[in-house]
Amino acid sequence: MQTLADYYGETLKFDKLTSYCPGCGHGIVTRLVAETIESMGIREKTMSVVGIGCGGFSHHYLEVDAIEAIHGRAPATAIGYKVAMPDHVVFTYQGDGDTSAIGLHEIMHAANRGMPITCIMVNNSVFGMTGGQMSPTTIPGQVTTTSTKGRDVHIHGYPLLVPEMMRAMKGVAYLARETVVDVKSINRAAKSIRNAFECQVKGLGFAFVEVISPCPTGLHLSVPDAYAYAAKETLSYFKPQIFKNELEKSDEV
Amino acid sequence: MKETLFLKNTEAFAESMIRCGIRCHFAYPITPATDVMKYTSRMLPEVGGRMVQMESELAVSNALAGYACAGKLGATSSSGPGMTLMQEAIGFMAAGELPCIMLDAMRVGPGDGDIIGAQSTYYQATRGGGHGDYRVIVLAPSCGQEIAELMPHGIKLALTYLTPVLFVVDGVTCQMTETTTFDEPYDYTADFDTSSWAYTGTADHPKRFLLTGSYTHEQGYEMNERMRRKYVEISENEQMWEQEKVDDAEVLVVAFGIHGRMCKDLVESFRAQGKRVGSIRPITLWPFPNKAFESIPASVKSILVVEMNHGQMVDDVRLAVNGRVPVHFLGKTGGDIPMCTLADMTREASRLLEGE
Repeated sequence: MQTLADYYGETLKFDKLTSYCPGCGHGIVTRLVAETIESMGIREKTMSVVGIGCGGFSHHYLEVDAIEAIHGRAPATAIGYKVAMPDHVVFTYQGDGDTSAIGLHEIMHAANRGMPITCIMVNNSVFGMTGGQMSPTTIPGQVTTTSTKGRDVHIHGYPLLVPEMMRAMKGVAYLARETVVDVKSINRAAKSIRNAFECQVKGLGFAFVEVISPCPTGLHLSVPDAYAYAAKETLSYFKPQIFKNELEKSDEV
Repeated sequence: MKETLFLKNTEAFAESMIRCGIRCHFAYPITPATDVMKYTSRMLPEVGGRMVQMESELAVSNALAGYACAGKLGATSSSGPGMTLMQEAIGFMAAGELPCIMLDAMRVGPGDGDIIGAQSTYYQATRGGGHGDYRVIVLAPSCGQEIAELMPHGIKLALTYLTPVLFVVDGVTCQMTETTTFDEPYDYTADFDTSSWAYTGTADHPKRFLLTGSYTHEQGYEMNERMRRKYVEISENEQMWEQEKVDDAEVLVVAFGIHGRMCKDLVESFRAQGKRVGSIRPITLWPFPNKAFESIPASVKSILVVEMNHGQMVDDVRLAVNGRVPVHFLGKTGGDIPMCTLADMTREASRLLEGE
């Protein structure tokens, strides 16, 4: 009988339970990253730089060298590593708080620098680990522990559209927003994550994938309701799309 | 073959690190440390290295951490307020046991301070600006020549103890231009095998991971205990200082960096008059050279600490002396002449000699 380990190989670890909450989209995204690394055969030369927050747990479940960078600085750390190990693959895995609040500075300059690194931002529109506070990507009207009457754009500002901010940057080779709210979307997200790694291997430039994900705990919703909320409400603000794909000029996978 | 060059001391730092095998310098412009990156941007590519100009000191220090993860020794250089921004990552590197070489061309503070050179970051350098129980080895050369001589030692310390090593040089000394004689280039970093801990992919080792925030309580305790044992070992074995005419001194002048350099003239001048003044110049600020004060002779009746700040190292001298002798302070900072002159130091030492 074929086991999960047969399918995912050595990259995804099955020896312990994950600490992601039940139904969390991080579980899917982490699996997609593992599948990519496994199928590309790059596990032995891959370095994971994870952020602070729920996304920081991701490396616990991957059999690759890894470090937890300090708040928001994962892209800078990844650049330092890439300078030292240009032939290796380095990717960051961060949440929306780590990437777009405290780490916006680093991610924007990393994108503009154009160095071939891969950055994954899992956007669940809330600070998950710290207990459900408003994030830069919390959508208008969304209730959080720090926007108790719902996000009011006149008070709190608008949700931050990170890939849209990167769009004009020449250093960006692959830029996409995906989601894991349904099977069809997961398949598209898998392809974008694969492309983001391929871009690095081919040395084309910076690659960024934002993945819209439900946070049942932060949203105070059941798992099905959290997925339905993300599919309807969150995606109404964050439209999945491929903004840029330099692989099309070479050999897209 | 040795080579003597006429350089700014910031450039002497850059030339030293290149000659000693460092091949990557991450930096962000700030006066007066900027000269280091100007120099390395020109010179490092000639030996296969590079200067990487980042977008902020936050990015600089974290890129340096990422570089160190690969088992390679990188460097950075900054000045007062820039070092403040780097503190989080310096604490991260200390906790993660990641080595690097840093220069703080110390400026006057607090806040953003001013571009005037000073010794205002003694506390920050020796106590740590980040949270938690960590230390950074701090070397305080007093001239370009000593920067060149300490560089191989600094590299050895960084790679032996797997820790950041910080050179603190006041901004005045950094901007001085003088002759420095350099040894023949030698890659001191190559003397150390980093393969047992470096994050170089799992091709030749099982997965390695550096945790900063999600270790278990047991892992956290073990990490802190390992740090504590390491810092005790460094404190015991790595104290460095220079002393002049201590054996029969009545007054001891204690200073580091440029004021420490001035002590030689000060002591010579007093001794020429038959007056018993000696000096101690700490070279390591952390670990502080307590051993230099453990055996000061009974003839010493007072100690004068001279600094280019409002009194920071004087605390460490008082701790080392532990009440055995009165410790006095002379300091000046800010303004066009940000330091005590030899006349100031002579006047204060004379008053102490006379028992005032």
